[in-house]
Amino acid sequence: MVAGDGSRSRADASTAHNRDSTTLLTCPDVESDLGGVVASQREKSASNEKIVRDVESEESRKTISGIDLKASYTAEDSKHMTADSAAAPGEPPYLRGAFAGGYRTKPWRIFQLSGFGNPEDEGARIRYLLGKGETGFIMEHDRLTADHLYDVDHPEVESRWEDVGLTGAVQMSARDTALVLQDIDQTRYFAHPGGAVVQHAPFALAAYWTVAKRRGLDLRQLSGTGQSDFFLTYLGCVTKQQIPASTGLKINCDIIEFCADHAPNWVPISIAGYNGADTGLNAYQELGAVFACAIEHLDEMVKRRRLSPAKVAHGLGGMNFRVGMDFMEDIAKLRVARKMWHDLLKDRYRISDKRALKLRIHVVTAGSAMTYREPMNNIVRGTLMALSSMLGGVQSLGVSGYDEALSIPSESAHHMSVRIQQILLHETGLANVVDPLGGSHYLESLSVRLEEEAWRFMDEIENHGGFIATLDSGWLHEKASDNQVALENALLDGSRKVVGVNVHEGDSDPFNVDGFSGVGDAFERAKARLVNLRRERDGRAVAVALGELSAACEQQRNIMPYILDAVMSDVTLGEIGDVFREQFGDWKVPIFF
Amino acid sequence: MSHPRARVVIAKTSLDGHWRGINVVAKALRDGGFEVILLGMARDTEIVRAVADEDPDLVGLNIGGRIEVAQRIIDALRESGYTGPVMAGGTIPPYAVKLLEQSGVQCFPPGSSLAEISRAARRLTGFSE
Repeated sequence: MVAGDGSRSRADASTAHNRDSTTLLTCPDVESDLGGVVASQREKSASNEKIVRDVESEESRKTISGIDLKASYTAEDSKHMTADSAAAPGEPPYLRGAFAGGYRTKPWRIFQLSGFGNPEDEGARIRYLLGKGETGFIMEHDRLTADHLYDVDHPEVESRWEDVGLTGAVQMSARDTALVLQDIDQTRYFAHPGGAVVQHAPFALAAYWTVAKRRGLDLRQLSGTGQSDFFLTYLGCVTKQQIPASTGLKINCDIIEFCADHAPNWVPISIAGYNGADTGLNAYQELGAVFACAIEHLDEMVKRRRLSPAKVAHGLGGMNFRVGMDFMEDIAKLRVARKMWHDLLKDRYRISDKRALKLRIHVVTAGSAMTYREPMNNIVRGTLMALSSMLGGVQSLGVSGYDEALSIPSESAHHMSVRIQQILLHETGLANVVDPLGGSHYLESLSVRLEEEAWRFMDEIENHGGFIATLDSGWLHEKASDNQVALENALLDGSRKVVGVNVHEGDSDPFNVDGFSGVGDAFERAKARLVNLRRERDGRAVAVALGELSAACEQQRNIMPYILDAVMSDVTLGEIGDVFREQFGDWKVPIFF
Repeated sequence: MSHPRARVVIAKTSLDGHWRGINVVAKALRDGGFEVILLGMARDTEIVRAVADEDPDLVGLNIGGRIEVAQRIIDALRESGYTGPVMAGGTIPPYAVKLLEQSGVQCFPPGSSLAEISRAARRLTGFSE
């Protein structure tokens, strides 16, 4: 463990910076615990042999996930891939793309995470983004209240009242959601109304749908996506209180069934490998775990016998992956994801419906790749990750803000995230041809290796009892934790380099970025809205709706119609939370942090 | 020095359960010889009680929200009689780093190396390298 050595000080680091300009090009393995001065002397006396050895250092031969790399690739390396890689985009197994026309016929959706402060502030930011050319919108909710199903007057929230509204608007009832959606046409845009955390998803969907119903719309007129992501909820961002993972699966299946019956243009849930990957899972672990998660849902739905496997698969086939800074590996990952989904459905579930076999991918560029130091450099990182996503053939993309490591996005960072995508789409010519890198010996070979490792990891999860069992036991958390530590150590020993962080680090930044601080009155205004709501609503209707929801939970019925009735009756987020806590109990978090 | 090894109490001040940062820091301090007591997401009163019970040589706060919340916890710790050092990590914007450092809290925003954090912890607790 390098952390205990204590030999590298800030002074050493700045010396390292001085030597970088002359030696980095030939010497990729510069950082070491020797400190800068010793290393400089070493370089002055270094023989050519020494430099050659450094160029051929271990880390230059592996992807960030540890897959071995050769110095170059030839036709020999990719020949066994011929059958899959020869199939045109839009043809099974979809390695090269889900749709034949690619971005010629349909540009990817520009889809940014957005939200903060009061509902009106969040609405204004969404309208700002749509005005800049965003082509769908995402509503973030305040994390304290939403993720935990607390109203704003819960003691856990009140004791941290300044945090309220920091990560999204407080939405405790459909009336709050209506304030966010003022002047936004719900029939015009594909929307994600929040509900990333599993226990929150029913409320977030019901609140968005209630606003539409109160506007006289039918749910069939709406298109959008839920999330209910297991990777966020049970792996990456563990909440203080959460329904058990097995109950989460039941609720997700309720949402899938409800959407099939009432909201056919809605993607009911979206499995988000992103949240596993940004917690530490590497590229093939992300792939393996995502499909292990999908298997849990497919198997449960097959057991219910209400919907055809093809219909279920289509509902599950809008997934979310992370693209980070290993440019080629992440392109390979997105291609392999499509092929694995096709193969899994065809071989294991005997599905032949082409619509179901095509995986649609949303990417969020890695928040953890964005640096705190010299944040404007993150515009370059965001561009590269967006380019990688584009070359991987995504249907939807969100680029993390350049101020990601400091705060939620400022208006200027949001603007840049949209412009990056528009420049790639309109100015580079890359949208003219589908899968422009198809046939690259390196990419095709890397895709094969990644796929092998991903199936192996998926099998490993299944051998440990399946995806939910590996969440309940903490097995998956251990895998992520091991990688977290390894990645930090690689930064310390310099085998992984991040500009401005452990190479070329400067003391001053030419750009002043101070992060976005949001608003200060979100807590008190949310509290006032809550008081008004409780006074104005029909208390009897609330009691009836809560009683029926409680009974539906107890009797294992599909809860979604009851959630929708409750939200239509202005039942609050916290009241639904109380029912869930009483009926479902609490997940036992397998790690302590 | 009241303990054979330096003891550090680490808590998250916000209700944001991202654990990657706190996990790598806790593991690095443990590997560096510290006895680490993790509280997870904890409120002001819970942190004050744990610090009174555990008698740590150092308190580490992972700040995933606003510094006003952390500041209130630090004030409560001081009022309760804790006189030891406090360190903070997490997504703390630059203006907040300045404010916290003025009140004697050393900050380690994203990109701080684990070696730097361990070294500061040893220096602040007086347990020599």
